[in-house]
Amino acid sequence: MPGIELKNITKRFAKFVAVENFSLDIESNAFITLLGPSGCGKTTILRMIAGLETPTEGTIIIDGKVVFDADRGINLPPIKRDIGFLFQNYALWPHMTVTQNIAFGLENLKWDKARIKSRIEDLLATLHISQFAERYPNELSGGQQQRVAIARTLAPGPKILFMDEPLSNLDAKLRSEMRAELKRLHKDTDSTFVYVTHDQLEAMTLSTKVCILNTGVLQQYEPPLVMYNRPANLFVADFMGNPPMNFLTGTAQVHGDSADVTFAGLKGKFESENGFSLGGKDVVVGIRPERIHISSDGAIEAKVYSALPAGMETTVHLNVNGTQLTAVVFGDIDYPVDSIVRFSLSKTAILFDKSTGNNSAIGKLTLFGD
Amino acid sequence: MELQLTNRVRMTRLSGKTRAWFTKPANIILLVFVILLGVLTLYPLLTLLMETVIVHSGREASAVRSLGLAKGDTTWWHFQKLLFTLNDGGAGGIRLSNSWIQFYSPFLNTMAVSLASSFIAILFGGAVAFLITRTNMLFKKFVSAVFVFPYIMPSWTLALFWQTFLKNTNIGTGTSNGIFASMFGIYAPEWLVYGFFPISLVLGLHYAPFAYILIGGILRNMDANLEEAATILKTPRSRIIRKITLPIVMPAILSTFLLTFASSMSAYAVPVFLGSPVRYYMLSTKMKSLMDTYSGQAYIIAGIMIVFGVAILLLNQKLTNSRRSFVTVSGKSSQISQINLRKANKPIAIILVAILLIVAVLPLITFAMESVIIKAGDYSLKNMTMDFWIGQNLTYLDQGDSNGILLSAKIWKALGYSVLLAVVCSLIAGTSGMLVGYGIAKRRGSKLSSAVNSLSFFPYLMPSLAFGAIYLSMSSHVPWLRGFALLAIVGSVKYLPFASRSGVNAMLQLSGEIEEAAIITGVPWFKRMTRIIFPIQKATFLSGYLLPMVSCMRELSLFVLLVPTSNTILTTMLMQYSEKGWAQFGNAINLLIVTVVLLLNYTVNKLTGASIDKGVGG
Repeated sequence: MPGIELKNITKRFAKFVAVENFSLDIESNAFITLLGPSGCGKTTILRMIAGLETPTEGTIIIDGKVVFDADRGINLPPIKRDIGFLFQNYALWPHMTVTQNIAFGLENLKWDKARIKSRIEDLLATLHISQFAERYPNELSGGQQQRVAIARTLAPGPKILFMDEPLSNLDAKLRSEMRAELKRLHKDTDSTFVYVTHDQLEAMTLSTKVCILNTGVLQQYEPPLVMYNRPANLFVADFMGNPPMNFLTGTAQVHGDSADVTFAGLKGKFESENGFSLGGKDVVVGIRPERIHISSDGAIEAKVYSALPAGMETTVHLNVNGTQLTAVVFGDIDYPVDSIVRFSLSKTAILFDKSTGNNSAIGKLTLFGD
Repeated sequence: MELQLTNRVRMTRLSGKTRAWFTKPANIILLVFVILLGVLTLYPLLTLLMETVIVHSGREASAVRSLGLAKGDTTWWHFQKLLFTLNDGGAGGIRLSNSWIQFYSPFLNTMAVSLASSFIAILFGGAVAFLITRTNMLFKKFVSAVFVFPYIMPSWTLALFWQTFLKNTNIGTGTSNGIFASMFGIYAPEWLVYGFFPISLVLGLHYAPFAYILIGGILRNMDANLEEAATILKTPRSRIIRKITLPIVMPAILSTFLLTFASSMSAYAVPVFLGSPVRYYMLSTKMKSLMDTYSGQAYIIAGIMIVFGVAILLLNQKLTNSRRSFVTVSGKSSQISQINLRKANKPIAIILVAILLIVAVLPLITFAMESVIIKAGDYSLKNMTMDFWIGQNLTYLDQGDSNGILLSAKIWKALGYSVLLAVVCSLIAGTSGMLVGYGIAKRRGSKLSSAVNSLSFFPYLMPSLAFGAIYLSMSSHVPWLRGFALLAIVGSVKYLPFASRSGVNAMLQLSGEIEEAAIITGVPWFKRMTRIIFPIQKATFLSGYLLPMVSCMRELSLFVLLVPTSNTILTTMLMQYSEKGWAQFGNAINLLIVTVVLLLNYTVNKLTGASIDKGVGG
């Protein structure tokens, strides 16, 4: 099972640096997501591993074999890297039928006819598109085209699969359907997936590990739930989760393993699990919306600014002493606008160092009532 | 020791980079073409400049002998003679001076004709474009099909028709009466048959389809909402046209104006037929006639034409790239409601159809008639014969051949030569254009890419006749550059802009992922081009082959200076024949050329869906 190793990869275009001194270890059989806002260099990294783009510096090792090394002048073409690539716009060849699209690459690898035929039949069946075998791409819907593109990519049986925002052109319903298929596919093909997306939900739901990037620099590389609960910095915390984490500026006075925290006109006690690494006393308090617990026996009073019931959960915007807080309440419950509610905090909250933006403590935050 | 090591690493790294650079076909293509085009456009331009200050043999050498100059010497005499000899000391004053006759008068004529013909082209072409796209006029299908005919046919077709139809014994070098004078007994005045008026009119009609294509394209693709928004605001129809529609098509109109101006300026065949018989010269015809006597002065005129051509077209590029050129194409455009012409519909449609019949169909009938009459000016049946077409061993034909043109070895040879040249130019230009397009699109934004882009567009900026002139001057420095090779190269380079534009368009429409999907499975470059890229963009690439072929088949001004007398092509042969007054053969050959061009256009159109009006547009 092949793993991928990136060492000190830098990619400079004429004027700007797209990726800076980037290193990453991808275990074999992983489902890795490169996540970040557009222009953060994630697609460039994917294309460099695939061999479609040449790094300016660094080394790339796939399955123990050096496929790129700037110092030694090694640069293997894509075909010698034993990979598959699924493109954002599918890149189906419009002048070929579904069968021809899939067969073209296999013919090129000098497979014999019978083998190609049976391989195509298998793939079409797996992806539920057997009935479209002789259609042209423009006679298919977006979702069907996507399946053909996947079949074409899987056809030669690559051990590593790269995917560049493959679901971004589909509507919401199809997207969640394809997500399930992709996760299944990862299990069935037994190969390593590297997936690029700007959609945090996709990254959360699909990957074994997420790699968050910002302006070409690695921010954090962890399994998705670890990243959700223990974000390395403000950028990661803000990027993961929807609705996003509440960020409230305030101050913290540390005494041993706990601290007195003041923010948004509120006072509380923060009990850290892992000590503090604070430069000063200015902090940003991070609270996940679902950890704001609305109940009649809550410690703090707040006014409902607006409530958005979605059936399964309701997003409530609260006004506390002039500061906005977002809370999520599970179940089909609605709150009248301007009504008064009470809340308290459950589970963990995070303290970020305001000057560096880094995570400086994770722990339990208890708010004092009036 | 350590320093040596880092040096070694740096060297491997550099060589690795160079190797990586050369593994990309786009880079190699661009490198090859930047060198090739540099040599093929800039070098001849340089030799042209040199020719303007060098004494040539023949009359030029004897004229400057008194100044102590001999052949090969360097001198400003050509400039002095052409531009600054405004008083020869004779009694005639400025109007009889050498500079006036050889330069200023042709220059003013050129400007006047170019202006007038551009106006005619825009008014006529724009009006038809409006009628077709915005009104419920009758016979739209017929009009839009026939209207582009004059643009597909060689430019001199109309000129030759005008001359043959209206000529009479009263004017010019008239030795016989044309159809009009013979049939109706009316002798047309000279201003109507020769000189400024007919040249402007004929060029205007020839370029009207060009205006039609450009302006019509914008009118058709304009977002209906733009006009609908004004309608909702209760704007009257006429005001919408004046305040919304016209300003939006204005950039297209300006662009058309500049392009027709530049094309008219360099037109050669039309002023030869309609100007030369009455000594009405334009820069192009003057340059051609000076080329045989005072070639230094001819090269100066060529240089001036190039400067004008380049300036006008650069101006056009600047204009069309500026903010004032509106992007009006929108995907969500509904059908614009058409103006009901009501009672005026029939008269307008009938007049338009009549004009089109005269402009596009009558010439062909005239050529056919002229090619079968024995004695000029007599259009009765008993004066007609098929001998000029299929006669054999007839001494009375007396036109340099004893066989009719369909049986003449000379004609078949010239036709074969023309077709061969068209095919070779089309293959070279089309293929180069595709490669250049690939390279430019793949490496878009790089310096090399924009250099090749400008170089491949450069030949478009140069007037054909002047472009022929600079290759003439270059061929005198390069011994092997003669005959067919010279024609093939000049044709290929001159038509490259059409092809490279098609190529770039085709590549830009194609997402890069389409090719990368094949790279991933290890498909080699050549196979990617032939199996993926070309088949997908077949129509656009093929129009890059078609345009050079059709243009080459009907090309005269580019080749007229370069064609060797031994191996002539059909168009230059036509020119020789009509200069010698061999009317029947001339008309027959002309009909032959027009037929071949129309057939070629039709066949390729049917086969590939590519058409001449695609990709045209400066």
